[in-house]
Amino acid sequence: MTWMMKLRKNNPSMQIFLWLYAILSVYPLVWMIFYSLKNNDEIFVTNPFGPPVHLRFENYVEAWSKYNVPSYFMNSLLVAVATVAGAILLAVMFSYAAARLRWRFSKIAHTYILVGMFIPIQVIMIPLAILVRDLNLANTYGALIIPYIAFNISFASMVFYGFFRSIPIEMEESACIDGASIYRTFFSIMLPIIKPALATMVIFIFLNSWNEFTMAVILITKESLKTLPLGLLFFQGQFTTDWGAMGAAMTIASLPTVLIYILFSEQVENALTVGSAVKG
Amino acid sequence: MNKFLGNKTAILLFILPALLLYTVMVFYPIVQTFFRSMYEWDGLSEGTFIWFDNYTRLFQDSLFFTSLKNGLIFAVIITVTQIGIGSILAFAVADAKFKGRKILRISFFIPVVLSITVVCQLWLSIYNGEYGLINKIFEAIGLEYKQDWLTSSKSAIIAIAFVNAWQYMGYHFALLLAGVKSVPEQYMEAARIDGATKLQAILKINIPMMAETYKFCLVFAITGGLNAFANMYIMTSGGPGTSTYTLTYLMYRSAFRVGEFGYGSAAAAILVIECLIATLIINRLIARERISY
Repeated sequence: MTWMMKLRKNNPSMQIFLWLYAILSVYPLVWMIFYSLKNNDEIFVTNPFGPPVHLRFENYVEAWSKYNVPSYFMNSLLVAVATVAGAILLAVMFSYAAARLRWRFSKIAHTYILVGMFIPIQVIMIPLAILVRDLNLANTYGALIIPYIAFNISFASMVFYGFFRSIPIEMEESACIDGASIYRTFFSIMLPIIKPALATMVIFIFLNSWNEFTMAVILITKESLKTLPLGLLFFQGQFTTDWGAMGAAMTIASLPTVLIYILFSEQVENALTVGSAVKG
Repeated sequence: MNKFLGNKTAILLFILPALLLYTVMVFYPIVQTFFRSMYEWDGLSEGTFIWFDNYTRLFQDSLFFTSLKNGLIFAVIITVTQIGIGSILAFAVADAKFKGRKILRISFFIPVVLSITVVCQLWLSIYNGEYGLINKIFEAIGLEYKQDWLTSSKSAIIAIAFVNAWQYMGYHFALLLAGVKSVPEQYMEAARIDGATKLQAILKINIPMMAETYKFCLVFAITGGLNAFANMYIMTSGGPGTSTYTLTYLMYRSAFRVGEFGYGSAAAAILVIECLIATLIINRLIARERISY
């Protein structure tokens, strides 16, 4: 190891580069939080870079009360929670049956579901929009929740499948001997075992649906159903003059995911990188 | 036991909801995309079957070639910056012993968890011709140079690609860091004993052993770039003019703005083929046998 240390001592440029990139990565965000607490005069003229001189929390009050931010926020929350619940339930049931129960086409069914991971949503947007319209889902919460659930099944199934495969068969054997039904075995024995995977996927699917943009922009036009990524577009046109409130709304929208990330950083990174083993 | 694990009712109950929803919402639409690409169709009526006319029309549409070219530019920029910078950062963090590694990792990754709308709006304010951060920095260091980065048709696509590169660099960094850590220590030790420099060891040992990770990163970045849509939708609406159109944006315009659903489907079908070709090429180029260690 001394060899590496020496190298590093002679080479502080690497460390400088790391910190410079960290600044490039985070400063835009900090700048946004700064200007969410400033007035236009401070943003544009007197103090464009530094922390705000007076903390103008009235920007947050304005974003929250004058624009539809509470409605967007609640819609995002509702859609994300429903998607997490639905996708996890369907995926965990399917992958349990595919990984452990004995039926003829289990391998084929599993592969069939996995194919979904390779289909980018962009390429099926047109039929999906027509389908949502024909099923009378257009401009309901279902227009987002149902496709979101369907799109998260593939990835979640893959992760759960791996976990279920690693559990020894004796688990079911002893449950069977003790007289538990297959349902009871599933809910009281299997689900507790894969808890870590469940937690990871809850975070993953929540982040995914909270931030989803492409489907939302095509499937939702009604103002009262817009989620945050959609609602924030509202600031783009006529309200660009009110940078403080815009910054405040964007900070509010980012708070949940950033908090989740900071609290569970390891799990989030694992969740987002776990697919790399199979995909590609 | 066989009876226990072969319970037909339970199996159907477990698999049908997922299979049904997936088939209706994911699988049926992808088939429809190809099927409808051979129709002249307004999305309401039955439509008329026109064989490959939509494709012939695409190949005569100059906008199609602009979109194709932009998709490639976008893909190349994000691939080179994300994987290039991501690799440097991952190798540096992996053997960094100084304090603050955790802070560095969090800083690199934080943009990934933001909504794309927030990121794009944020960069719209950064690029803003008058009040933007970049122009303010130029002003602060005494440069008279002012530029609205998104209104020049030459620089707009590059400016947008940079936003995507910035946001998802952390994702590639995390993947690559996990890859670096999976290479066993004794290989590096052996290289050191043989007198290899750090750079040689990385080039000759780490990178080849991380072939699977690189393969995934490449597929992810390139197909992500070819599919780019949200960035242009939010930042430029395909403009100035049509200079930041991509295939997905062309599909969106044709179907949801102009009402030519068949033509849009053809653009989407080309996109699928394009991504498939890219994935196949990457798989061919990068070690086909897994290296076992």
